[in-house]
Amino acid sequence: MTPTNATVTEKPLELESGVTPFVERPLGVLTRPQGGRGWRDWLSTVDHKKIGIMYGVSAMVFFVVGGVEALLIRLQLAVPNGGVLSADVYNQVFTMHGVTMVFLFIMPLAAAFANYLIPLQIGARDVAFPRLNALSYWIWLSGAIFLNSSWIVGGGGADCGWFCYSPNSGLAFSPSHGVDFYAIGLLIAGIASLVSAINLIVTCLNMRAPGMDLFRMPVLTWMLLITQFLLLFALPVITVALFLLMFDRLFGSDFFNPDMGGDPLLWQHLFWIFGHPEVYIIILPAFGVVSEIIPTFSRKPIFGYSFMVFSGIAIGFMGWGVWAHHMFVSGIGPISVAAFSLSTMFIAVPTGVKILNWIATMWGGQIRYTTAMLFAVSTVGMFTIGGLSGVTHALAPADTQQTDTYYIVAHFHYVIFGGGVLGLMGGLYFWWPKVFGYLLNERRGKLNFWLMLIGFNLTFGPMHVLGLQGMSRRIDTYSAGFGFEFWNLVATIGSFIIALSVVVFFHNIWRSKREAADLPPPGPDPWDARSLEWMVPSPVPEHNFDEVPTVDGLDEWWHRKYAIDDDGNVVRISSVQSAAQDGSARGVHLPSPSFWPLVLALGLPLIGYGLIFNLWLCVPGGLMVGMAMYAWALEPVDDPDADHGQHHEDNDGDGDNDGSGGSGDSDGELATVGTPSTQGGYE
Amino acid sequence: MSEAMRTEESRWAFARRLWSTLTLAGFGLLLVGCAADAELDTFQDQGETARQINDLAVPVFIVAGVVLVLVCGALVWLAVKNRVPANEDYQGEFPKQVSHNNTLEIGWTLGPFVIMVIVAVASLVTHLAINSTEANAMEVQVDGQAQTWEPRVVVVGQQWWWEYRYYLSQDITTDDLGDPWDLPPADIVTSGQMVIPAGEEIELIVTSRDVIHSHWIPALNGKRDAVPGLYTPWKLSADEPGVYFGQCTEFCGLSHSRMRMQAVAVTPADFQTWIDSQMKPANLPTNEDSAQGRGAEVFSTYCASCHLVRGLNDADYNGAETYAGSAPDLTHFASRTTFAGGIFNLYNSDYSLNDDQLAAWIRNPNEVKENYANDLADGELPRGMPDMGLSERQISDVIAFLATLGQEPTRAQILATEVN
Repeated sequence: MTPTNATVTEKPLELESGVTPFVERPLGVLTRPQGGRGWRDWLSTVDHKKIGIMYGVSAMVFFVVGGVEALLIRLQLAVPNGGVLSADVYNQVFTMHGVTMVFLFIMPLAAAFANYLIPLQIGARDVAFPRLNALSYWIWLSGAIFLNSSWIVGGGGADCGWFCYSPNSGLAFSPSHGVDFYAIGLLIAGIASLVSAINLIVTCLNMRAPGMDLFRMPVLTWMLLITQFLLLFALPVITVALFLLMFDRLFGSDFFNPDMGGDPLLWQHLFWIFGHPEVYIIILPAFGVVSEIIPTFSRKPIFGYSFMVFSGIAIGFMGWGVWAHHMFVSGIGPISVAAFSLSTMFIAVPTGVKILNWIATMWGGQIRYTTAMLFAVSTVGMFTIGGLSGVTHALAPADTQQTDTYYIVAHFHYVIFGGGVLGLMGGLYFWWPKVFGYLLNERRGKLNFWLMLIGFNLTFGPMHVLGLQGMSRRIDTYSAGFGFEFWNLVATIGSFIIALSVVVFFHNIWRSKREAADLPPPGPDPWDARSLEWMVPSPVPEHNFDEVPTVDGLDEWWHRKYAIDDDGNVVRISSVQSAAQDGSARGVHLPSPSFWPLVLALGLPLIGYGLIFNLWLCVPGGLMVGMAMYAWALEPVDDPDADHGQHHEDNDGDGDNDGSGGSGDSDGELATVGTPSTQGGYE
Repeated sequence: MSEAMRTEESRWAFARRLWSTLTLAGFGLLLVGCAADAELDTFQDQGETARQINDLAVPVFIVAGVVLVLVCGALVWLAVKNRVPANEDYQGEFPKQVSHNNTLEIGWTLGPFVIMVIVAVASLVTHLAINSTEANAMEVQVDGQAQTWEPRVVVVGQQWWWEYRYYLSQDITTDDLGDPWDLPPADIVTSGQMVIPAGEEIELIVTSRDVIHSHWIPALNGKRDAVPGLYTPWKLSADEPGVYFGQCTEFCGLSHSRMRMQAVAVTPADFQTWIDSQMKPANLPTNEDSAQGRGAEVFSTYCASCHLVRGLNDADYNGAETYAGSAPDLTHFASRTTFAGGIFNLYNSDYSLNDDQLAAWIRNPNEVKENYANDLADGELPRGMPDMGLSERQISDVIAFLATLGQEPTRAQILATEVN
């Protein structure tokens, strides 16, 4: 299906087979737009870097939304018999807090890193399917907005908890539209993650620069690749579950209705078969980020690269065999409980390997405590706490006391916030100069860090105590006299310290941007880092690499700057300026922008509203989706008149003979133009 | 040289100060945590199963604590020891570029593995112990006849209260129970308070009539979900007579936080007394013109379609007209000390009836405990108790009637079971 580069000629619509394409000059709307300026550029872009930035910005917006919900929860629980929210609103707020933070904040923030960094780290010009990449983002965004629109048009948010156990999620128990929005919103967002997973897997496997063997890929790219495989296999499961839920609620089926012989535990199994890999989907990108930051600021290579990669793969596999540890008390029977208890304990082993390897990387290193490094090191410490509390409830008997209490809330916040968020925050400080061309101020950064670390521990540390003292999860209020008062108040204070740290972060972005005008630019490699993204200018030019590098080993960029002499000493062999690329290449062929991903994505929420309110709305929604698919398939690879239609003039250095993909010039896109018989609407 | 030494010294001084501050803070926090009066505290075990769980969990907590101190200690130690200036143009000599050490790495793969094997074996032993039941027959008198009773309670959750059913005269199994929405009549039905003989292992059969709930008495055992359509076995026991608090722990909707319960463990002799009183039919008023008599009338008119008072409305009673098809059996209402899902005291601490709270509850239940029982759509059944629109007179009458139902609890019981 993919034409080789040699057959792609100046006429992009001419096919390898020699069959005359059925359109020579496409109709008006089907001409491919050229890269515009301003908002048009952002709406039609297929550049993985812009898409990454859009993922990141949107994720931060939802971080604020979810954060406000978190503060409401903490206000309600600050004192006994809190009256800030009614029980009904409280249930909606904690549900939407969980859903927002998981699906609309941390996953897209990880997607931002994946989109921006994978092509750069493997020496590619873009992802394999640039338009699909845009589609992922727009579908995710439309799903996210759809989900939150239930506050306005759906009579409130979902009120069933983020794992939405049936039958409490059924129409009889949750008659507002909140759960409908939950089901359909997550279905839409799930399409985005699935599309993006396929795209990034193909990118990692096919688009690597010459010499970039799989085992020369940076650990971050490896962890992101494993994450994409987890997404690829986990999302279909939750999709099935959400479909069944949607049918139960909208069309009167009874998959989960025990009155009619349905099985409420079926939902739990389906949800957690997705939900446990989801934990690793959240945490592995942060592990990858930490594995980039710690070596850079320890001035040593990552300790045990292969153990790091294989432990990630092991976690990826074992993550599928532990889901029922969320169901130890659900009555699944002692044998199942024993089996899942054992598998859960042993997933601690590869996780422990990672922690020890990070420590070994710092061992004997020279540690530069930049903000990024502070975040990375604290991620290791905080995740260790979450991992160890995880071991305590891998013990099924202990879990019968701990599950569904605040001890669990503490545990998963130490994993997801302490591991995931702190890690990705470090990543933001680390790659900020690469993405935006200016450094975030370190003093404010450290204030940001310490406030966040202290606030985090004040908020979630006490929850361990509360849970073991018997405070149940998801209670909208508690009585005085159970010993819950003191720690709840501490947790509430802590949550506002976290909020303050986030304010400091946003302030730092704004102030550093203003101050950057008076400071020297950071240059391509401000941290003396190790992987390929640091050999291109900051911010990264649209074409990424002037010339696709040929890779000779792990930490390619570092080895272009330094060599190790016979005595084992490090000697500089090249300055950053001479080793780095200057971004001066012109006329590099890049995929043309397209509006169709956006149009397709806008159709999906229309179908969603149609399913909930009036089926007729599905007609325009469906038409939009269908027409966008066809238009997508019919639009040419490029605007034939565009001046960047010169192919492969930069190809000299990238030797495609290794079969690993070549220069990343959107070969996949070229494959989409074909005879009508090959047009399926998707690439 | 001396400069470097001073820096080195001040680093260690800083590390020592940090360490002592952290340790102090840690102990301080621990003390505050433990000093609290916590009736749901999982570490204050009062029964065999809860103790077995803690015997497993506490050593694991200690091991986990040691690992945590080692990991975080290493991080802090490295942070102090290996620190160099953070500025971007730091150009000191590079450290030795060690990239791996297979022996070490295999070692710290196998080390945790071995620890986990030990933990896993210990965990499995406890797991099997707490999931096994032992035959445990006790003698009880039922209607004056000696009966061998396998202590077993059927625990049924519904929004937002717990029902406890005792089948004394037959050895009932899950097969005999059939449909949870249509359970066979039990000898004793109570709600919110499960009375058990101390020192005996009590088998529980846990189920639900609507959504998933979770039954948890932390001092006696871990929790077990009540899943509609499933009968799940569980057990608990209390070492000594006493009152052990519990809370529903699976999110079950609006009043999840207000779905509480107590296990009331009594001596075998007191348990027999309790059985005797509970087996009696209700004390019905004889004088129709008394407050109690009028209250019985109000009850028959407004309450009897959902609540059962044995001896009064059992002939017409065919399950409650609620979503779950159930409402608390009120035959021995006044013998209990809490109401409305274990959240309100039925008696004041001066042992008088808490009629203010009871009146507020009857006046409009949704006001004091949120539910879905008012303003229903056509065909929708209430979840919780609706506002029946009773007048103040009717309310005080029906309270007078309810106060006569069942043997009044002792003062000691009232104090011991007091809820906040």
